Amino acid sequence: MQIQTTAEDQRIAWLAALAITIHILESAFPSPLPGVKPGLANVITIVVLMEFGWRSAAWVSLLRVLCGSLLLGTFLTPTFLLSLSGAVCSIGILWLACRLPGRGFGPVGFSLLAALAHMTGQFTIAWLLFIPHPALWRLFPVLLTAALLFGTVSGIIAGGISNRQQQCTT
Amino acid sequence: MTRADRVLMAIVLCSLPLLYLHFWTPGAADYSDSAGGVTQGADAGTATVLRIQSAGTAANTTPLAPDRQIQVPGPMGESTIEIRAGQARFLESPCPGKVCVHSGWLSEAGQLAACLPNRISIQLLGSRPRFDAINF
Repeated sequence: MQIQTTAEDQRIAWLAALAITIHILESAFPSPLPGVKPGLANVITIVVLMEFGWRSAAWVSLLRVLCGSLLLGTFLTPTFLLSLSGAVCSIGILWLACRLPGRGFGPVGFSLLAALAHMTGQFTIAWLLFIPHPALWRLFPVLLTAALLFGTVSGIIAGGISNRQQQCTT
Repeated sequence: MTRADRVLMAIVLCSLPLLYLHFWTPGAADYSDSAGGVTQGADAGTATVLRIQSAGTAANTTPLAPDRQIQVPGPMGESTIEIRAGQARFLESPCPGKVCVHSGWLSEAGQLAACLPNRISIQLLGSRPRFDAINF
């Protein structure tokens, strides 16, 4: 049986492979705090969003979470659930951000929004499912600060890669 | 950076200190024992209620205020819990080992005594327990 693939499918596969590679390389680095990591794979998501639109970015992001977890052996573990909820949240907020009238956000804005949404989403899931203790919320500002830092850095990198100054499409 | 980027960055930078202020101010959030559903006032650290758990029944919380003795029925018979001067203990129990009685007085929030044969446990609760558990 031959599955018909379009040029877009192949492009998404290439970009997702790139994102997965970065994701796995990054998992080799130790993390100072659970939940904190640079999230450099999101650079790819933002570049794809700027260049090819929201639909491709959503595919690349979700494929990265799925395949990354399969390769790292975390599929269907709490780690995977947190990663997935974060990715779904950030893709959701990017969908909204794409609909901003006018010139809209640039790569830094998109990246920052995605990072904050990712952190908020996975933190909420962690609190609801795994550690339902009110004291956990003390970590929240710290984690958001990390998200602000890494989100901005990722955005600047993404901006350097994608030089096109254009409104993102859906 | 576009204008939207700068506005977003400004909003985030302004709201982060507010988040720190909200979550890091003592007393801003309620860290009471969620299992007992107890909220207390200023005298944190000291116990104010006693939770009595008997097998097969819902946990029962009772204030430490009037000194008294409480009969708690279990599979082996009735155990007697004594409350005096803000402390609590097993006074009598029909069990063979009397480990519960020898546990003595419980005086601080978080302390627990249990009678396993009679399947009854008592624990002091307060707004800020000094520890989660103790091993002997």
